Amino acid sequence: MEIDVKKKQENELVFIIRDSDLSFANAIRRICMMEVPKIAIEDVHMIKNESAMFDEVLAHRLGLVPLFSDSESAEALLIPSECDCEDQCPKCSVSLVLRKKGPGVVYTKDLSSEDSKIKPVYDTIPLLKLMEDQEVELEATARLGIGMDHAKWEPTTACAYKYYPHITIDEKCDQCQKCADACPRSVLEFDEKNNQIKVVDLENCSMCKSCVRVCDHKYITIGHKDGDFIFTIETDGSIPPEEVLIKACDVLSNKADKIITFCEGGN
Amino acid sequence: MIPVRCISCGKVVSAYFDEYQNRTAEGEDPKVVLNDLGVNRYCCRRMLISHVETW
Ligand code: SF4
Ligand code: SF4
Ligand SMILES: [Zn+2]
Ligand SMILES: [Zn+2]
Repeated sequence: MEIDVKKKQENELVFIIRDSDLSFANAIRRICMMEVPKIAIEDVHMIKNESAMFDEVLAHRLGLVPLFSDSESAEALLIPSECDCEDQCPKCSVSLVLRKKGPGVVYTKDLSSEDSKIKPVYDTIPLLKLMEDQEVELEATARLGIGMDHAKWEPTTACAYKYYPHITIDEKCDQCQKCADACPRSVLEFDEKNNQIKVVDLENCSMCKSCVRVCDHKYITIGHKDGDFIFTIETDGSIPPEEVLIKACDVLSNKADKIITFCEGGN
Repeated sequence: MIPVRCISCGKVVSAYFDEYQNRTAEGEDPKVVLNDLGVNRYCCRRMLISHVETW
């Protein structure tokens, strides 16, 4: 298996996997979304909420705020099921406090965390609005969790792969250029020098087959390369995408180990 | 209030809400602003475009 990184940004990673198979790519995708632990607000203790927003709505909004959860920030935090406390303790949870008086909009920057590293990724998320003389005061508890339990613990936003496209143009092609005009993604272009249709941006092809539909004699065909995928991982900023991928691979290899021990008669 | 995240893909669109509102109020083209902010998918773009702040 070969991996080729195409694009690497703070919150987005695009890479090509070659000589792999569909079930493997899909396992990685699902684990990235569902089983990589992340920190999110779970319990909210409302001390005062005089705003027009219901407590539950505010608590739900707080839950969806991404908090830094990369291995450096979340180092000291334990997964609640692995902690030896009954409910929650400082080893497995972080508390955040919000205290604000109106009028004005309350943003995530007003949330103060007891842990300087575990704080909201964005300062500019509007949480609620307060009118003159209204006040809000609450204490929120954040803990580690996985996407399988609630979407707020999903570290990824867009996490998907597509087949690696493969375009063939028959020799009999009469260079009518209809396919190049029909392509919505400028994948095909007419090369005037060689009087030939050329594929200029293969990886951008979405396999929509608009080009096949306009070709009168079906000289152009769109297929895919078996075992090759273009993978995109975009995160909400809480964990860098490379780390999500590495953690997903760890989870997958643990699962594989479990199956091996089970098959060998252990448990 | 704008939803915290895009309801389809989960991108944190609310983080860009104030900037989007301020810049479009100044007469900038929403398309340019959205591209600038890195809100690329149409699911996320409709979150900002179609939102009406009522109070
Ligand atoms: S399948 Fe669609 S995107 Fe790909 S080359 Fe044909 S028209 Fe363009
Ligand atoms: S539409 Fe068909 S015949 Fe025309 S240039 Fe494209 S492949 Fe060739
Ligand atoms: Zn504990
Ligand atoms: Zn979206």
